[in-house]
Amino acid sequence: MGNSSKDDSLTDGDASSGDAPPSKTSLYTEGEKVLAYHGPRIYEAKVQKAELMKKEWKFFVHYLGWNKSWDEWVGADRLMKLTEENVLKQQELDKKQGVDKNVKSGRSAHTRPKSSADVKAEKEDTKTNVVKTKKRKTESVAEKEGASSEKSVKIQIPSTLRKQLVDDWDFVNQQDKLVKLPRSPTVDEILSKYLDYRSKKENTTSDSLAEILKGIRCYFDKALPVMLLYKKERKQFQDVVLDDMSPSNIYGAEHLLRLFVKLPELLAYVSIEEETLTRLQQKLTDFLKFLQKNQSTFFLSTYDSIKGVEGKGKGKDD
Amino acid sequence: MESGGKAREEEQDGMSVHSPCKAPPSSASSLPKEQSQVELELRLLEALEIYPPIKLQGIHRHFVLFGLMEFLRRSFNRQFSSDEVLQLLDRFYNLEVLKPDDEDIEVLNREEDFSLPQSFFVKEES
Repeated sequence: MGNSSKDDSLTDGDASSGDAPPSKTSLYTEGEKVLAYHGPRIYEAKVQKAELMKKEWKFFVHYLGWNKSWDEWVGADRLMKLTEENVLKQQELDKKQGVDKNVKSGRSAHTRPKSSADVKAEKEDTKTNVVKTKKRKTESVAEKEGASSEKSVKIQIPSTLRKQLVDDWDFVNQQDKLVKLPRSPTVDEILSKYLDYRSKKENTTSDSLAEILKGIRCYFDKALPVMLLYKKERKQFQDVVLDDMSPSNIYGAEHLLRLFVKLPELLAYVSIEEETLTRLQQKLTDFLKFLQKNQSTFFLSTYDSIKGVEGKGKGKDD
Repeated sequence: MESGGKAREEEQDGMSVHSPCKAPPSSASSLPKEQSQVELELRLLEALEIYPPIKLQGIHRHFVLFGLMEFLRRSFNRQFSSDEVLQLLDRFYNLEVLKPDDEDIEVLNREEDFSLPQSFFVKEES
């Protein structure tokens, strides 16, 4: 590449003379969610910082759901916009390659980051199998743990609850339906039912379990509006949840279960010793089993159509 | 900037004026009871390396507290209640003065829609 400017000082005035002048505004902004290549895989990541270094934009990224120790500076060639189109490409790849449970490549086995040319080629031709399937968080967490000593919480969601999540997705996104609020039992009620159930079983009240349940409730209240709602549910949230109400007192098992999908991502921000993490995992898993056991009473079997929920619109059906 | 830095730093850390470092002189004649308190405090400080007090002011509070409870439980082979841990912490920190971690705030200030990971749509073979 021709080095047009002999001057190394970072005056942005001479950018115009370069053959590939870096734009003064970066392609990715701080806080933006992106797709990031790391070795042969693509991960969801978040740009924490963007800086112009030696005339090149560098981005400090955090891989969502991964321990902070993986955070790193990368060039723009490692990143892709988090657009529907790009996600779709990934998903195509996912489907094409299936979820290969045998792939055991951790970070240590990864090759060097690709050159921008490689990345471009891959981006354009997703049909080649150069890019390995992107693994979803929970699976990749498990994998990485095998490959290195990196720890992050693993949460195995029982299969009937996984199905529940798919149905939930279907109701809202495919059938335009919503969970009728307020729910019964609410998240708060479910959590205290569980605490009761455990206390009776063990004949003692476990302070550590109580703390975890408080933690779940706190996450739920904070996370619901920012990461647990499908787009179509936002209006309902605004209508139903007024200023000083806690979502955990209005929403129920349907949304609580979604929190468990996001839990590894949230817990990655806390450093936890391995032993404690194992205990935490056990407790979370046990709670999921409890949800599963009570699936028919905790979860709705049908949702209301959006028109019905929103009130006296033109009643299309029902 | 430099001159005022120290004081401000202390404030941010929420260091209590009643730090046990300034133990009354009488404590020189140490009793067994105090010995165990020293042990307890040392362990707690050790635990705080992993579970920084600043995290006790954000959304992760309960999980950090859980971590501390577990750490002490393993160190002393007995249960610690959350209140007990908090009281212990109170000897060193004024938690109310601590500001939540910026990172913790940042996690939740970007609204995004929930999306169910693709892996959920893959039929599990059984």
